[in-house]
Formats: sequence, C-alpha cells, structure tokens
Amino acid sequence: MMPLATFSDGKNHFACSQYGGDWAGPDGDRLTILLGLLKQLPAGSLNLHTFEDFLEFTPSVSVRDIIESSTDWRIDDEASFYLHASMSNYIVAITTSQVEPNWPSFGATSYDEEMKEQLQQQWKSEVEGVSQGAYVSQAQHTIATPSRLGLKAQVDRQQLVWPPRQLNATGERIESASEQLSETATILTWTRLSAAGAPSEFSGRAPILDGVSTVLVQFPEGPKGVFMLADDERKEPAIDASVRFDVRRLYGQDGMMHYGLKAMLL
Amino acid sequence: MVDVAMVGAGQTKFGNHPLGLKGMWAEAIEKAVQSVDNGFDSTDVEEAFIGSIAFGGSQLGNTAALLTEHSGMEGVSVRRVENACASSGFALRDAWMAIKSGQADVVVAGGIEKMNDLSASRKRYWLGVSGDTEWERLAGLTFPGTYALTARRYFHEFGSTHDDLVHVSVKNHMHGFENEAAHLRKQVSFEKAQSGFMVADPLTLYDCCPTSDGASAVILVADHLAHKFTDTPVWVKGSGAGSDHLALHDRPSITQLRATQSAAAKAYKTASISASDVDLAEVHDCFTIAEVLATEDLGFAGRGLGGSFAREGEGRRNEGSVTINASGGLKSKGHPLGATGTGQAVEIFKQLRHQVEPERQVRDAEIGLTHNVGGSGATCAVHVFGRQR
Repeated sequence: MMPLATFSDGKNHFACSQYGGDWAGPDGDRLTILLGLLKQLPAGSLNLHTFEDFLEFTPSVSVRDIIESSTDWRIDDEASFYLHASMSNYIVAITTSQVEPNWPSFGATSYDEEMKEQLQQQWKSEVEGVSQGAYVSQAQHTIATPSRLGLKAQVDRQQLVWPPRQLNATGERIESASEQLSETATILTWTRLSAAGAPSEFSGRAPILDGVSTVLVQFPEGPKGVFMLADDERKEPAIDASVRFDVRRLYGQDGMMHYGLKAMLL
Repeated sequence: MVDVAMVGAGQTKFGNHPLGLKGMWAEAIEKAVQSVDNGFDSTDVEEAFIGSIAFGGSQLGNTAALLTEHSGMEGVSVRRVENACASSGFALRDAWMAIKSGQADVVVAGGIEKMNDLSASRKRYWLGVSGDTEWERLAGLTFPGTYALTARRYFHEFGSTHDDLVHVSVKNHMHGFENEAAHLRKQVSFEKAQSGFMVADPLTLYDCCPTSDGASAVILVADHLAHKFTDTPVWVKGSGAGSDHLALHDRPSITQLRATQSAAAKAYKTASISASDVDLAEVHDCFTIAEVLATEDLGFAGRGLGGSFAREGEGRRNEGSVTINASGGLKSKGHPLGATGTGQAVEIFKQLRHQVEPERQVRDAEIGLTHNVGGSGATCAVHVFGRQR
C-alpha cells in the first residue's frame, strides 16, 4: 500500500505520505492517503463528516464510491468513526469524535522541492483544462468503478473476466462484477514513455517525472490488464516481477480529478 | 463472379503538405485520373469510399461529400470509411466488394489525412483516439506505448533484440530514399538508428513512423470495362479483412496479430495464391516491431523468426525472398493515417506497371500485397494484386 507515515493512540489514527505533511507525493492527495490508512485498519463503518471539503479537486466519482469500491469500509452517516483532514497539511485522521483532532507532526523523506511545485502546478492546469485527451463518460467511470478501483471481476463459464464486458464471445450477457482478483500480479511486459510517447493527459507530467512507466500484467486468476507504475523512482520493472496496486490520481480533466489503480513494484 | 481491375492510382507527396483537405484530395484524384492510359471521366464514378480518421476534427461530418464535391464527382454516392489507420484499406475493400457484388462498375477508393497543421497537444490527441480509451489510454498508453509493450514481450519470447528492429528501420529508409513521394527521404546508418532518442522504451525515434499529411486514390472498374481504360490493368485478385480485441490485455497473445492472420488467409484464398507467391509487399510498419510481426502473420517468416528475417535482409529490394516496403513503408514514405492503405495500393499499381523510379523497381514483380492495420491490430485489411487476371 501507499508508503505512509502513520500514528495511532489506539482510538485515533493519523496518516500522511512518506514525504511528511507538506506533500502527498507525485500522484497522491488526502484521499489516496486516507485509502492507504483504511487498508491498514480492520474494516468498519465511517462517517465522511467534513472530509470532502478538504479535497483540492472534485473527484469524478463520489468519495463514497471510491472508498467502498477500493476498501472493505462502508460509509454510514450514523457511524461512530469520523474522517478528518488537516487544512494546512496533507494529514488525515480517523477518530471517534466530530471535533478536529490535534494534528501530530511527522518526519519526512527528502524530496525535490522544485519537482513538487511543478507537479502541483501541472495537476492544477490539467484539472482546469478542457479535454484535449480521451473522454471517458461519467457513466463509464461509474459503472466500472468496482473493477477500476477494486479489481472486481465478472464470472463467465467458470472463468474470471476483467476489465468488465457486457456480452461474452458468444453473445450471452455476463453478470456484474462480483469476484475479487488477487492483490498482486505478474509483469508480462513494460515500457517507459517519454513525453513524446505519452497520451496528452500525461504529457505534461512525463517530463517532470523523467517519463512514465506502464506495465501489462497478468493476475493469478488469468485476466490481464495495463497499469501505470507509481513509486518507481528507484526501481526498474522487469518481466516476471510482481506488483501490487494502490488507488492514485490518474489524470485531471474538465474540472475533475480521475482516480484509478496504479501498480507498485514488490 | 466479376473480377476487379485497378486502372488508375495517384497520391500527393506524403509529408508536410502545403495544401488543405480539399486541395490534397483534388491533387490525388487528378493524379489518379491522369494515370488512366486511355482517359477517364470522373463523372462516371458511381460509388466512392474515402478513408479518414477525421484530420484533427476539422470536418468530422459529411467529410466524403465535401471532398467529392471538390473533385469533379458531385452527386456521387459517397461515404467516409473509418477504421483508424486502416481506414483506406477498408475503403479499398468496400470498393472491391461493390464491384464484386455487381452493384457498381466504376468506383473510387481513397484516403486522406491532414495532421501537421495541428497543435502538439491536438495531434497527440488524434493520434491516440483509436486505441482503447477506457483502460489502455488511462494507463498511459497510445500507440508508441502499446507497440513498445509488444516489442519487449517479443524480445522475451523469441530472443530477438532491438538490433533486429534497427535493420527494419535502415532498410525502409534505404528503400524510401529514392521515392519522390516519401516524407523522410534520407538514408539512416545502423549506428544512428541504434542510438535514437527513446520514445517508448525499447522503441526509439527510428522505430517510429512520422505523422504525415497526404491523400491517395485508386480507380477500380469491373472486368468488362478494364481494357476500355488501359491495356495494363492491375487486377485486385484477393481481399481479406479481420478484427481483434481493441486492447492488448484482452488478446491471447500480444506478439501476433490475429486480425492480420485472418485477413491474410482470406486474401490468399480469394486470390488462390499462397504467401510464397508474393513478390513485393507493402506492410504496415507504423513501428518497426509491426513489420517484424507482419512478416510472420502474413506468412513470409515462421513464428518467432521475423527478427532474423529482418536481420538477414530477407525484405530488401531485389535481394531477399520478398521485397518488403519498396516504397519506404510508413517509416520513410510516411503515414497519413487514413490515406496510408490506398497509398500502399498506389505503390503496388506503379510497381506492377513498371512506373516507379528505375532504381526503386522490384524486378520481375508479378504479385503484390498490401497490409493495412488499424491501431495496435484491432482491424486489418489485406489485398493481393497481380499483373495477370
């Protein structure tokens, strides 16, 4: 899961990125930090409280759908756990009180301040921009959310199908995604794209990150998929290597932030 | 059944073209008409099929009617054919079928694309619209990326190396150097092609075709009319097409294109020939790895042997077992997306009639083939041409 710094006193749980409270990483934000924290805790019910007010950009699908699709947690207005986010820092908390907690301080891994500034500006430009790239309709995003964020697969004649399909090869309808794919997969092939080789959605960030990597992987259950790599600054992918997955920012467009799974080298 | 003859063929120079859409199309049609030995009246055209992805969105609707209106074919039954980079390969197939079915006797097939007056971001957008938008594109992939994934997997499965791809690049630049219609008329040394700027690892700049402006058109007629127009028609002996999953992750294998295999099998069957009968082939080398796969999928090389086929110079003009991309291919001649498929047919028309520059002529060529792929292999059209009916 996302490399996090966490702190817990038993009742209250806090998390920030490995870079401390000042930055959530190249493709992180308060929401991706929260998802990382939730995966570390036993699942339960959550009250969103004021959490959505602390997100920099509007997600393309609801925060509830993102949390419920990518974790075992459920959103419930009556829940006794409350979500909080710090306005001034990229720190999130789950507490038993509606009152904003006292925010702890965290240590931080060093990072390139200039790269951080460039990426933050780039995300802002992307979200404010009108589509010069792929348009994926709201309906497509919503329908595929359990598969896109939660690796839920369909079953067709004893075989798992992912990404989702409407009809199978012989024209029979396949039921909605219900089966969970494994949390890890094996790299079949990979590439690292320069800005010239990247889609317009990513061509602004590719030069800042010195390229973006994509892997084609196969899950133990059979289905294959393509994912961007994250946190690969110090590692090069290899065929037959293993990856796991985390929800991260994918791209910004038309006033919204789109989230999806990215692969991390194990 | 009716046989189909190609009696005229023409194209603009591929590259950075100074004219707009209407001007480029008019030039291609003028050249096709002028190439008909005994004269041709464009008002005799009954059906027209024009391939295009939509040249940057400047005329998405009723494209074909606009173009025929400006090229002496006012009122003709016309439509745009879109199958990504295989658009005019499929336009050619549709034209062939219109005559084969007996519904028309005189048909034009062509293609057009205007890409190089777009902004960088708009060009990147239009170059990526034909891939799988929902999953591949959101994982950072357009075609350099998908073909790079294929290349690395091919190396892994068959022990091939990037140097095999370099041989493809060097050969196609050598072939295209003398082609007056080519976009990139320059020879490239092996060392230079080895060390190009990395676009999508392991593919460098010299593994990628350019994006070109261009238009191309061919004139097809039913057999009973062929000798009215010329004593040396080129016969469209076979046609085949196929499709496959749009996304690589849905395919059983990413190191072979089932769409090509299916299209080739049908084309060979309708032409009553086999791969070994082909003297020259214009194959869809949008990336060098695509030519390696094509030589296997079309049956010129065995499975996994496309790399050594390239390394050993089997595709070189008048040297190997079959000349691959005598025009320079997409790598050197250029790739105006929707115009590429019929552009390949223009090259075969001229080669089989001995009308190319003398130094480019494939000796004793009797059978030619075109192979036009859409995207990373979701669609493919293959045609077989011959000097004899």
